[in-house]
Amino acid sequence: MKGFAALVLKDLTLELRSGRTTLALASMALLVLVVLVFAFDRTVVRGPEAAAGALWVSLVFAGMLGANRALAVEQEQGCMRGLLLAPLERPTIYAAKLTSCVAFMVAAGAAALVLVVLFFNLDISYAILSLAAVLLLGVFGFSALATLLAIIGMKARGGELLLPVLIVPIFVPALIAGVKASASVLAGAGAARQWLEILVAFDVLFVTAGYLLFEHVLGEE
Amino acid sequence: MASRIQTILGWSVLGAMMAALYMVFMWVPTEADQGIVQRIFYFHVPCAWVAFASFGLVAIAGIFYLWLGGQVWDDLGHACAEVGMLFCTLVLITGSLWAKPIWGTWWTWDSRLTTTFVLWLMYGGYLMLRAIAEDTPQVARFAAVIGIVAALDVPIVIISVRLWRTIHPAVLVTRQGGHGLEDPRMVVTLLVSLGAFTLLFAWLVMLRFGELRMRSRLGAVARELAMRQFRAGTA
Amino acid sequence: MAAPIVETHALAKSFGVTPVLRDVEFRLAPGSAAVVIGANGSGKSTLLGIFAGLVAPTEGRVLVFGEEPRRFTPRYRRRIGMMSHQSFLYPNLTARENLEYYARLYGVADWRQAARTWLERVGLERHAEERVRGFSRGMEQRLAAARAMIHGPSLLLLDEPFASLDADGSARVKTLIGSAVAEGCALVATAHAPVELSGVEMELHEISAGRLVPYREKEEAKRGGRLRSLLGPGRG
Repeated sequence: MKGFAALVLKDLTLELRSGRTTLALASMALLVLVVLVFAFDRTVVRGPEAAAGALWVSLVFAGMLGANRALAVEQEQGCMRGLLLAPLERPTIYAAKLTSCVAFMVAAGAAALVLVVLFFNLDISYAILSLAAVLLLGVFGFSALATLLAIIGMKARGGELLLPVLIVPIFVPALIAGVKASASVLAGAGAARQWLEILVAFDVLFVTAGYLLFEHVLGEE
Repeated sequence: MASRIQTILGWSVLGAMMAALYMVFMWVPTEADQGIVQRIFYFHVPCAWVAFASFGLVAIAGIFYLWLGGQVWDDLGHACAEVGMLFCTLVLITGSLWAKPIWGTWWTWDSRLTTTFVLWLMYGGYLMLRAIAEDTPQVARFAAVIGIVAALDVPIVIISVRLWRTIHPAVLVTRQGGHGLEDPRMVVTLLVSLGAFTLLFAWLVMLRFGELRMRSRLGAVARELAMRQFRAGTA
Repeated sequence: MAAPIVETHALAKSFGVTPVLRDVEFRLAPGSAAVVIGANGSGKSTLLGIFAGLVAPTEGRVLVFGEEPRRFTPRYRRRIGMMSHQSFLYPNLTARENLEYYARLYGVADWRQAARTWLERVGLERHAEERVRGFSRGMEQRLAAARAMIHGPSLLLLDEPFASLDADGSARVKTLIGSAVAEGCALVATAHAPVELSGVEMELHEISAGRLVPYREKEEAKRGGRLRSLLGPGRG
């Protein structure tokens, strides 16, 4: 894992300096939630189900942005090539970018959570840890996928349009599991084990797949 | 040689399809509950089998492409994806046609149809990549990775969607189709139809694969020609 | 020669259908220096990219350190230092941070000290805490040179290293490259015109219609050369 620390520190430093990504992700989360609040009549659609759904929708949209941004930092001045030239194992680059994406998504997720609590009048004092755990599992799985596929967004013509089209169907199982688990946590029932198992299985599967396949995605010109 | 296999295959498809059609429409007894509409089942299930199996082939071709590198693997994966998409669309259409008379709606979110829909979206993503992005080895590698990742996902999709549906039984009735085959003639018809559709799939893939191979070879020839002109200084 | 550090056989490269390089035969002995001269778009950057493992050849073989660049492990990459048209520098990091980052990536033992040393060597120590975003092209180029050499590579691949440099900058970078070569580093540089490094014997090559040939000074170039030396070394 040589170079992992240097890479992650560099990405964090850059983000702390510009704050661009965190701002963009938080804004995205807010805007999506606003749309949802107005789109669904909350006298009809209410409660933990709606809140969980809204939370995950805004996370997914923010996440797609986050994955792009984790890579975008390498776009200037050809730094991506600089990265490819460096004596790094390709999986190390994957792990570092994955970490950055998770960090961005956690920030966005925290913002979304605060907003959801506000907009849906929830009391989550008892559930905060379980909810955070479920969200973290989902964020991890999404980042694993998105980091792998975002390179395609960067390198292929029309790639940025493609990223959502590619990620969303593959993310469906984690989305289902995440929303269901979050809803039941918000309803006070704790997260059902089967949903957690699916989330964990998803994460393990796609982090491994990303680890193994990343070098093929980086390739040569 | 390849075209002879293709011809034989073509004729087998014709024969098998005709046998299947006869059996489905003339021979097999009508099912008690659902009536004549149930016969769609003998097309719907084989199409589903082909659609899912084809996706596995796309992934396997992708693995070989990343591992061994020959353009032929990429073309094979591409052909399977296109034909598989066709059959996947047919599953959704036949499922819809079946749902309407039975439950009165064109679409239901039951577990199998939902899973097939997700598969359809994955196919769509793969084909969109190939359609939009340029035709380079790098894009071929991307496609291979997507095929592999999506195929790995399918089992989890099946499990999670099934769980999703069983927890909300009030929303809709799960379709029984597929496992209530009392009459042995139904089983035979299903198997024959399965065979016929598999042959059809193989034949269509051969056709499409042949076209893609030719296009790849043409590309190689164009590159070679350009290089020769370059060498001769006439480019 | 002893096992060449770079060698190619019948190397060719096309981008899609467009050929760029053909029948390239090249050998570089360890510790030697070569310059590849060519116009814009002639393929010299592509050639360097192939040596670095960033671009895959379409035909032929290329071996760097006896291995195919596409199969490079980190061990090989550590021995290469590259400068490209793009600087590989992060605009929002300071000069010092950029150097420290790359020094760390390349496993330099005392990366903080190395960054300080190299900032001095390229004459940027007064700008160490400034963000690269505010640098002039020449300053960026000098920093990029430091970045390429900070980890003590045994092969330098420099794409037009003196472009955008003024006399002072040029002199500094030439000195640094010269010392590296004197210490046994091999060099492949590209340029628009022949480059001279004091104390270093340069093999001159040229890319002509995609082929790599020995460089021959042309008549018009000789005449133009006098004009160029009037205008100063920063040109051309």
